[in-house]
Amino acid sequence: MRSETMSQPAETLRADVLVVGAGIAGLQASLDLADQGKTVLLVERQPSIGGRMINLSKVFPTLDCASCITTPRMASVAHHPNIRLLTYTEVSSIDKVEGVFHARVTRKPRYIDEQQCIGCRRCEEACTTYLPDEYDHGLGARKAISIPFTNAIPQLPVLDMENCLLCGSCAKACPADCIDFLQQPRPVELEADAVILTTGFDLTELGAKKQYGGASYPNVLSPLQMERLLAPHGPYGSVLRPSDGKKPDSIAFVQCAGSRDQSLGVPYCSRVCCMYAIKQAMLLSGSLPIADITIYYMDIRAFGKGYEQFYQNARAMGIEFVKAKVGRIREDEEHNAILRIERQEDGGRPEEVTHDLVVLSLGMVPAWKPTEGGMIPVEAGTDGFIRCPKAKVSPTLTSLEGVFAAGTAIGPKDIVDSIVDAGAAAMEAASYLEQRSSVRRHTPDVARALPQSGPGPLEAAVTGAVLAGAGEGN
Amino acid sequence: MREDNHDTTAPRAEEVRVGVYVCHCGGNISDVVDTAAVAEAASRHPQVAVSRDYLFMCSDPGQKLIIDDILANGINRVVVAACSPTLHELTFRKALERAGLNPYLYEHVNIREQCSWVHKADHGAATEKALRLTLAGVEKVTRQDPLEAIQVKAERHVVVIGGGVAGMRAALSLAQRGLAVTLIEKSGSLGGRVAELDTVFPTEESARELLRELSEALLQEERVSVHLHSQVEQVEGYVGNFTVRLRTEAPGAPAPATQEVTAGALVMATGYDHYEPYAGELGYGQVPEVMTLPEFQRLLSDTPESRSTLLFGGREVRSIAFVHCVGSRQVEGVHQPDSDGHINEGCSRVCCTAALHTINRTLDRFPGLNVYDLYRDIRTYGRGHEEYYEAASKKGVLFLRYREDGLPQFQASKGGGPHTLTVTDWLTWGEEVTLPVDLVVLATGMVPRDISGLVGLLKLPTGTDRFLQEVHPKLRPVELANNGILLAGTCQGPMDIGESCAAAQAAASKASILLAKPTIELDPFVARVNEARCDGCGRCLAECSYGGALTMVERAAGSGTRRVAEVNPALCSGCGACVAVCEPRALDVAGWTLDQFDAMVDAITAEPALAGVGG
Repeated sequence: MRSETMSQPAETLRADVLVVGAGIAGLQASLDLADQGKTVLLVERQPSIGGRMINLSKVFPTLDCASCITTPRMASVAHHPNIRLLTYTEVSSIDKVEGVFHARVTRKPRYIDEQQCIGCRRCEEACTTYLPDEYDHGLGARKAISIPFTNAIPQLPVLDMENCLLCGSCAKACPADCIDFLQQPRPVELEADAVILTTGFDLTELGAKKQYGGASYPNVLSPLQMERLLAPHGPYGSVLRPSDGKKPDSIAFVQCAGSRDQSLGVPYCSRVCCMYAIKQAMLLSGSLPIADITIYYMDIRAFGKGYEQFYQNARAMGIEFVKAKVGRIREDEEHNAILRIERQEDGGRPEEVTHDLVVLSLGMVPAWKPTEGGMIPVEAGTDGFIRCPKAKVSPTLTSLEGVFAAGTAIGPKDIVDSIVDAGAAAMEAASYLEQRSSVRRHTPDVARALPQSGPGPLEAAVTGAVLAGAGEGN
Repeated sequence: MREDNHDTTAPRAEEVRVGVYVCHCGGNISDVVDTAAVAEAASRHPQVAVSRDYLFMCSDPGQKLIIDDILANGINRVVVAACSPTLHELTFRKALERAGLNPYLYEHVNIREQCSWVHKADHGAATEKALRLTLAGVEKVTRQDPLEAIQVKAERHVVVIGGGVAGMRAALSLAQRGLAVTLIEKSGSLGGRVAELDTVFPTEESARELLRELSEALLQEERVSVHLHSQVEQVEGYVGNFTVRLRTEAPGAPAPATQEVTAGALVMATGYDHYEPYAGELGYGQVPEVMTLPEFQRLLSDTPESRSTLLFGGREVRSIAFVHCVGSRQVEGVHQPDSDGHINEGCSRVCCTAALHTINRTLDRFPGLNVYDLYRDIRTYGRGHEEYYEAASKKGVLFLRYREDGLPQFQASKGGGPHTLTVTDWLTWGEEVTLPVDLVVLATGMVPRDISGLVGLLKLPTGTDRFLQEVHPKLRPVELANNGILLAGTCQGPMDIGESCAAAQAAASKASILLAKPTIELDPFVARVNEARCDGCGRCLAECSYGGALTMVERAAGSGTRRVAEVNPALCSGCGACVAVCEPRALDVAGWTLDQFDAMVDAITAEPALAGVGG
């Protein structure tokens, strides 16, 4: 057994760009930069990269399996010579000093020697302590030492020190002698010329709305729990009610259960809930062909390319869409959910309906909020996400020069839009680096000489042309 | 997982040792196909040295299995039976490369789309088919020689087609990144559709200022050359080395001028068209008081700020109805198709917010107006968009919800009073409501612009919605299947300005990646000529539809010369049309030779290889 101590001198790592968050947006931004020849430090606080997307079953509107789309990107990032990956690493602060960003990060202890571990999982097999599995959102179990999930990158186990009995079974089973119960957090300094924030989203709390049972009903699920139930390698291997393991016959989705709701402080639309609910409903009707599926909604917002057709297909499959507000949910003695709904069509009668499984379509809130301070001084919008002062022409710029943001860090977004965003942020960062180095290359005189060349024929043509165009519109 | 008992000594140079890997794809495959049985049966093939099945072959540990077998077990050919090759062929070739093996000694067998997904009901037959396809893959890869990627020069110059906001954004980003850019615009001004607007949601910036800022930044860039009044006339060449001929017809110029530029990549930023309602659609074209949203926005802009009432045709406007989804979310059998028989099934994404933005602006200036909003679903999805919906509700806009099977009906006024709009409103009791309206504003959607010339010239793929079609919405969202041609903005589908600019920058990023190195690597799957067999008949040339890919050349033969076919590998698409007409079998496509096809067909049609498994 070896241990690293705090007294070790802090190491400093340097790259062109620091990317914070290795979900799909962070992965894409890193790859776009690395493929352009830029060096990247990619920091992720979870033990594996892949973010929320790797946790999903299938993705709309193509119904591709999420793993199939995410894992190759994860592998490309892990193997890219221009990307240095720091997982299980928390960023405490990023300061800008004379145009260079200095980040203080902490590598959290996995309690294993990461260099020696061969990922054989014998420690995991030997461990006798079972705990709720975060990857399955509490629906399955994991060991106190475990690799977070099958296709995690890196394939390194994490020892959950808080719940470990210190029995030593894992250490005895380890063929590489790499369990280290005394490992300490390790501070590291990072240095980069630009930063991309891809800090992602959290869902609103399942229990946030007391009227919906406050997360106390076993058969009222979050959409991410439903994703796990639908995943082919999910906790139960099929869709079952958590309370009794029965196959559900009647499933309801409650839309806007965490969005467009002033009382939750989330007045905005979360953009993805309509589509993920429709997708889950379609997957459910595939795996439970005789079940009734109802979606209670305010507006169906199927706005993306091919999304409306996806929605119409769901209607044609027999999924029922009811424009209604769900006022309250209670439970009967068999843990069926009784929804008090008010139809917003056809006269608006209040009524009660019973379903044996309910999904609350929760909304998106930022996983890292600039308003909470710390990390890096970028401004927040009124919605709490990172503010983008030039949302139209440079949608990934933040209020701090040299810092860019993409994906759900700058507002609710689906996977397609997050990936496009990430490409845009990478381009902004690459252009920013180019401009910086060209300013450094030229003397200030040369840099200033450029606009002095006077209006050439091109300038006259373009300026005149744009003005003429705008005039037409007015 | 299973493995045979072969020893792990290094293979002889000529000994073929195939590794077979059968993927479960989580359960996408293994729920139907007995993957263990396929792996076991494949292991009995004489050339197969290792055969395994695994949960996710594309994952890092999955790829590591292959790499370890290449390094430790002397595997020198690899077959992965998994999903479609469009998803992961490249993933596994890269894994081979990392293990030091030629990446083309690889065969990808699709047992997901072609087996488990289409034969869900018959597990036994799906398993049998999966095995046959896998064994065909083994036969093919056994006959595979190492190939080398084709290297082409990368011209660090990009041609952007279209000078709207997406084209300008792409050009600016590329120039700032250090690439030379030629921006081609058909009309006499930059700015495209954004130049039609007054203010833009949700930032409330002036569209004019926004364009001025972009164009001024463009002018700072010496590397950008803008060509107004210009169109693409001809494109030749291939990724890394396109030759684009553009034709400029400047007003007042004595004759059109043509010019050629060489570019490594092309960016399509050709934009969209407003949906044009047909004559009589909700009264459009019948009375002037029915207009589209862009037309109404112009009326609003043209009304002096000092005026306290909105006038149209000399009369005060007291009530306006806005109708959503005109030309969008159309339903077959309900909506009238256009002159080509098309309907627009998709949502146009921006019209809900655009309409509500305009309604708010209208009511801010003329608070006494009655405004009706006839909608199907309000889709104010974007950041800062829902606020317009909220604000409109607070300002007293009356919302009525119609269904696609009950479109609003317009009745023109007979006696000079207001027109009427009749709609079945589902927010109440499905009642029929008749609204007196002075103006009707149709929130028209976005339709693909007719760029059939460019589509034909460049052989660009379009979707069923007739917009340009990306390779994959998540894997390659801003790339066309045509190597080196990228997508920016609304030529791909409806987007707002911010989304168009993000797409343009993402396209710029892809172009920068493509042109980051002095050369570009292309797949080597192109036609090859066995000159000894070629009789110079030239029939292949007649079949070839890729200009310049095949030519006839003279070779010295004895005292004279003889004609033989020659392939330009950068232009050849590897379609194989030439192979099919070559009687002496002098042509072959590398990686897809006739011998390989013969062996695959034999393997697929052989006696059942899998008695009694999987059923």
